[in-house]
Amino acid sequence: MEKKKVLVACGAGIATSTVVTNRVERILKENGINAEIEQIKISEAKGKQKGADLLVSTTILPTTYDIPVVIAVSYISGINQEGTDKKIIDALK
Amino acid sequence: MYFEDFLKPELIWTNSDASTHLEVFELIAAKAHKELFVEDNFLEKIKEREETFPTGLELEGYAVAIPHTDPECVKEQFIAVLTSKEGIPFKRMDDASKEVKANIIFMLGLNEPHSQLEVLQQLMGVLQNKETVEKLLSFDNESDILEYLKGVTK
Repeated sequence: MEKKKVLVACGAGIATSTVVTNRVERILKENGINAEIEQIKISEAKGKQKGADLLVSTTILPTTYDIPVVIAVSYISGINQEGTDKKIIDALK
Repeated sequence: MYFEDFLKPELIWTNSDASTHLEVFELIAAKAHKELFVEDNFLEKIKEREETFPTGLELEGYAVAIPHTDPECVKEQFIAVLTSKEGIPFKRMDDASKEVKANIIFMLGLNEPHSQLEVLQQLMGVLQNKETVEKLLSFDNESDILEYLKGVTK
Protein backbone atom coordinates (compact mmCIF):
# COMPACT_ATOMS: atom_id res chain seq x y z
CA MET A 1 0.00 0.00 0.00
CA GLU A 2 1.31 3.41 -0.89
CA LYS A 3 2.23 5.76 1.90
CA LYS A 4 -0.20 8.62 2.42
CA LYS A 5 0.59 12.06 3.70
CA VAL A 6 -1.69 13.88 6.10
CA LEU A 7 -1.33 17.50 7.18
CA VAL A 8 -2.79 18.39 10.58
CA ALA A 9 -3.27 22.11 11.09
CA CYS A 10 -4.45 24.60 13.64
CA GLY A 11 -4.01 28.35 13.95
CA ALA A 12 -0.68 28.31 15.75
CA GLY A 13 0.37 24.75 14.87
CA ILE A 14 0.98 24.02 18.52
CA ALA A 15 -2.09 23.44 20.66
CA THR A 16 -5.17 21.83 19.17
CA SER A 17 -3.20 20.28 16.29
CA THR A 18 -1.14 18.33 18.85
CA VAL A 19 -4.26 16.69 20.22
CA VAL A 20 -5.60 16.02 16.73
CA THR A 21 -2.29 14.60 15.47
CA ASN A 22 -2.30 12.10 18.30
CA ARG A 23 -5.82 10.91 17.51
CA VAL A 24 -5.19 10.76 13.76
CA GLU A 25 -2.03 8.69 14.32
CA ARG A 26 -4.03 6.26 16.41
CA ILE A 27 -6.98 5.78 14.06
CA LEU A 28 -4.75 5.41 11.01
CA LYS A 29 -2.79 2.72 12.80
CA GLU A 30 -5.96 0.97 13.90
CA ASN A 31 -7.22 0.98 10.34
CA GLY A 32 -3.97 -0.21 8.83
CA ILE A 33 -3.34 2.98 6.87
CA ASN A 34 0.32 3.72 6.30
CA ALA A 35 0.69 7.49 6.53
CA GLU A 36 3.10 10.21 7.46
CA ILE A 37 1.59 13.03 9.49
CA GLU A 38 2.90 16.57 9.54
CA GLN A 39 1.70 19.09 12.11
CA ILE A 40 1.56 22.63 10.70
CA LYS A 41 0.08 26.10 11.04
CA ILE A 42 -2.96 26.49 8.81
CA SER A 43 -1.19 29.36 7.05
CA GLU A 44 1.38 26.81 5.81
CA ALA A 45 -1.22 24.45 4.33
CA LYS A 46 -1.44 26.11 0.93
CA GLY A 47 2.28 25.70 0.36
CA LYS A 48 2.47 22.17 1.78
CA GLN A 49 -0.53 20.56 0.12
CA LYS A 50 1.48 19.38 -2.88
CA GLY A 51 2.20 15.71 -2.33
CA ALA A 52 -0.28 15.50 0.57
CA ASP A 53 -3.48 13.45 0.50
CA LEU A 54 -5.53 15.09 3.21
CA LEU A 55 -5.67 18.20 5.36
CA VAL A 56 -7.17 17.87 8.83
CA SER A 57 -7.85 21.23 10.48
CA THR A 58 -9.30 22.42 13.77
CA THR A 59 -9.71 25.93 12.53
CA ILE A 60 -11.63 27.75 9.84
CA LEU A 61 -9.98 27.66 6.44
CA PRO A 62 -8.54 30.95 5.20
CA THR A 63 -8.56 29.73 1.59
CA THR A 64 -9.46 26.73 -0.54
CA TYR A 65 -7.25 23.72 -1.15
CA ASP A 66 -6.67 21.18 -3.91
CA ILE A 67 -6.77 18.25 -1.47
CA PRO A 68 -9.68 17.00 0.66
CA VAL A 69 -10.16 18.72 4.02
CA VAL A 70 -11.70 17.37 7.21
CA ILE A 71 -12.58 19.78 10.01
CA ALA A 72 -11.76 18.08 13.31
CA VAL A 73 -13.20 20.39 15.96
CA SER A 74 -14.95 17.33 17.41
CA TYR A 75 -11.62 16.12 18.80
CA ILE A 76 -11.51 19.28 20.89
CA SER A 77 -15.18 19.47 21.85
CA GLY A 78 -15.58 15.72 22.34
CA ILE A 79 -18.86 15.77 20.41
CA ASN A 80 -19.18 13.16 17.62
CA GLN A 81 -15.51 12.20 17.38
CA GLU A 82 -16.39 8.92 15.66
CA GLY A 83 -18.00 10.81 12.79
CA THR A 84 -14.74 12.65 12.22
CA ASP A 85 -12.73 9.40 12.46
CA LYS A 86 -14.85 7.98 9.67
CA LYS A 87 -14.42 11.04 7.43
CA ILE A 88 -10.64 10.82 7.80
CA ILE A 89 -10.50 7.09 7.10
CA ASP A 90 -12.84 7.41 4.13
CA ALA A 91 -10.79 10.23 2.65
CA LEU A 92 -7.65 8.07 2.69
CA LYS A 93 -9.10 4.82 1.39
CA MET B 1 5.63 18.39 32.65
CA TYR B 2 2.27 17.91 34.30
CA PHE B 3 -0.90 19.97 34.02
CA GLU B 4 -0.37 21.54 37.41
CA ASP B 5 3.06 22.80 36.39
CA PHE B 6 1.30 24.99 33.82
CA LEU B 7 -1.16 26.50 36.29
CA LYS B 8 -0.03 29.74 37.92
CA PRO B 9 -1.86 31.15 40.95
CA GLU B 10 -1.42 34.66 39.56
CA LEU B 11 -3.02 33.72 36.23
CA ILE B 12 -6.44 32.63 37.49
CA TRP B 13 -9.54 34.82 37.67
CA THR B 14 -12.97 33.83 38.95
CA ASN B 15 -16.28 35.54 38.16
CA SER B 16 -14.66 37.99 35.81
CA ASP B 17 -16.76 41.02 34.92
CA ALA B 18 -14.97 41.41 31.59
CA SER B 19 -17.51 41.81 28.82
CA THR B 20 -15.36 41.36 25.71
CA HIS B 21 -12.63 38.95 24.73
CA LEU B 22 -10.30 41.91 24.25
CA GLU B 23 -10.68 42.86 27.91
CA VAL B 24 -9.84 39.28 28.85
CA PHE B 25 -6.76 39.28 26.64
CA GLU B 26 -5.57 42.61 28.04
CA LEU B 27 -6.01 41.41 31.61
CA ILE B 28 -4.21 38.10 31.13
CA ALA B 29 -1.50 39.47 28.88
CA ALA B 30 -0.66 42.33 31.24
CA LYS B 31 -0.23 39.92 34.15
CA ALA B 32 1.70 37.35 32.10
CA HIS B 33 3.98 40.12 30.86
CA LYS B 34 4.54 41.46 34.36
CA GLU B 35 5.51 37.94 35.49
CA LEU B 36 7.91 37.73 32.53
CA PHE B 37 6.15 34.71 31.00
CA VAL B 38 5.69 36.35 27.60
CA GLU B 39 7.42 38.62 25.11
CA ASP B 40 6.37 42.24 24.57
CA ASN B 41 4.35 41.40 21.47
CA PHE B 42 2.21 38.71 23.13
CA LEU B 43 -0.97 40.76 23.47
CA GLU B 44 -0.80 42.01 19.92
CA LYS B 45 -0.19 38.50 18.57
CA ILE B 46 -2.92 36.83 20.58
CA LYS B 47 -5.46 39.44 19.45
CA GLU B 48 -4.37 39.04 15.87
CA ARG B 49 -4.58 35.24 15.95
CA GLU B 50 -7.99 35.17 17.61
CA GLU B 51 -9.23 37.54 14.92
CA THR B 52 -7.97 35.26 12.14
CA PHE B 53 -8.44 31.87 13.83
CA PRO B 54 -11.03 32.18 16.59
CA THR B 55 -11.17 29.64 19.41
CA GLY B 56 -14.70 29.66 20.84
CA LEU B 57 -16.20 26.23 21.34
CA GLU B 58 -19.86 25.46 21.95
CA LEU B 59 -20.44 22.39 24.09
CA GLU B 60 -23.61 20.97 25.56
CA GLY B 61 -24.91 23.57 27.99
CA TYR B 62 -21.82 25.73 28.17
CA ALA B 63 -19.09 27.26 26.04
CA VAL B 64 -15.35 27.61 26.36
CA ALA B 65 -12.54 29.37 24.53
CA ILE B 66 -8.88 28.41 24.29
CA PRO B 67 -7.02 31.42 22.88
CA HIS B 68 -3.38 30.73 22.09
CA THR B 69 -0.63 32.05 19.91
CA ASP B 70 2.76 31.49 18.36
CA PRO B 71 5.35 29.70 20.51
CA GLU B 72 7.86 32.50 19.84
CA CYS B 73 5.86 34.85 22.09
CA VAL B 74 6.04 32.58 25.14
CA LYS B 75 9.04 32.55 27.46
CA GLU B 76 7.64 30.39 30.24
CA GLN B 77 4.75 28.04 29.54
CA PHE B 78 1.43 28.58 31.30
CA ILE B 79 -2.29 27.92 31.14
CA ALA B 80 -4.30 30.90 32.39
CA VAL B 81 -7.88 30.35 33.57
CA LEU B 82 -10.74 32.85 33.70
CA THR B 83 -14.36 32.11 34.54
CA SER B 84 -17.41 34.20 33.73
CA LYS B 85 -20.99 33.39 34.72
CA GLU B 86 -22.40 35.74 32.06
CA GLY B 87 -20.17 34.37 29.35
CA ILE B 88 -17.81 36.36 27.14
CA PRO B 89 -18.46 36.52 23.39
CA PHE B 90 -15.96 34.64 21.22
CA LYS B 91 -16.25 33.69 17.59
CA ARG B 92 -16.55 29.99 16.97
CA MET B 93 -13.48 27.95 16.10
CA ASP B 94 -15.19 26.22 13.19
CA ASP B 95 -17.43 29.06 12.02
CA ALA B 96 -16.38 32.66 12.55
CA SER B 97 -19.81 33.94 11.56
CA LYS B 98 -21.21 32.53 14.81
CA GLU B 99 -20.51 33.58 18.38
CA VAL B 100 -20.50 31.67 21.63
CA LYS B 101 -20.56 33.05 25.16
CA ALA B 102 -17.59 31.41 26.80
CA ASN B 103 -17.99 30.65 30.50
CA ILE B 104 -14.43 29.44 30.87
CA ILE B 105 -11.41 30.73 29.06
CA PHE B 106 -8.18 28.75 29.09
CA MET B 107 -5.46 30.86 27.57
CA LEU B 108 -2.61 28.63 26.46
CA GLY B 109 0.92 29.93 26.62
CA LEU B 110 2.82 27.08 24.99
CA ASN B 111 6.18 27.03 23.30
CA GLU B 112 7.13 23.38 22.85
CA PRO B 113 5.22 21.82 19.97
CA HIS B 114 4.75 18.05 20.30
CA SER B 115 5.99 17.77 23.87
CA GLN B 116 2.93 18.86 25.80
CA LEU B 117 0.43 16.32 24.48
CA GLU B 118 -0.46 14.91 27.86
CA VAL B 119 -1.15 18.34 29.29
CA LEU B 120 -3.36 19.23 26.33
CA GLN B 121 -5.25 15.97 26.60
CA GLN B 122 -5.90 16.65 30.25
CA LEU B 123 -7.16 20.10 29.33
CA MET B 124 -9.48 18.63 26.67
CA GLY B 125 -10.74 16.19 29.30
CA VAL B 126 -11.54 19.10 31.60
CA LEU B 127 -13.35 21.17 29.03
CA GLN B 128 -15.34 18.21 27.69
CA ASN B 129 -16.67 17.33 31.13
CA LYS B 130 -19.83 19.21 32.02
CA GLU B 131 -19.65 18.43 35.73
CA THR B 132 -16.07 19.65 35.95
CA VAL B 133 -16.90 22.86 34.13
CA GLU B 134 -19.93 23.49 36.34
CA LYS B 135 -17.82 22.93 39.40
CA LEU B 136 -15.18 25.36 38.13
CA LEU B 137 -17.88 27.96 37.51
CA SER B 138 -19.15 27.58 41.07
CA PHE B 139 -15.90 28.73 42.66
CA ASP B 140 -15.53 32.28 43.92
CA ASN B 141 -11.88 32.26 44.63
CA GLU B 142 -8.79 31.51 42.63
CA SER B 143 -7.16 29.06 44.99
CA ASP B 144 -10.24 26.78 44.88
CA ILE B 145 -9.93 26.64 41.08
CA LEU B 146 -6.24 25.89 41.33
CA GLU B 147 -6.70 23.08 43.84
CA TYR B 148 -9.66 21.58 41.98
CA LEU B 149 -7.87 21.59 38.63
CA LYS B 150 -4.83 19.98 40.19
CA GLY B 151 -7.10 17.28 41.59
CA VAL B 152 -8.98 16.46 38.39
CA THR B 153 -5.88 16.34 36.21
CA LYS B 154 -3.84 14.03 38.42
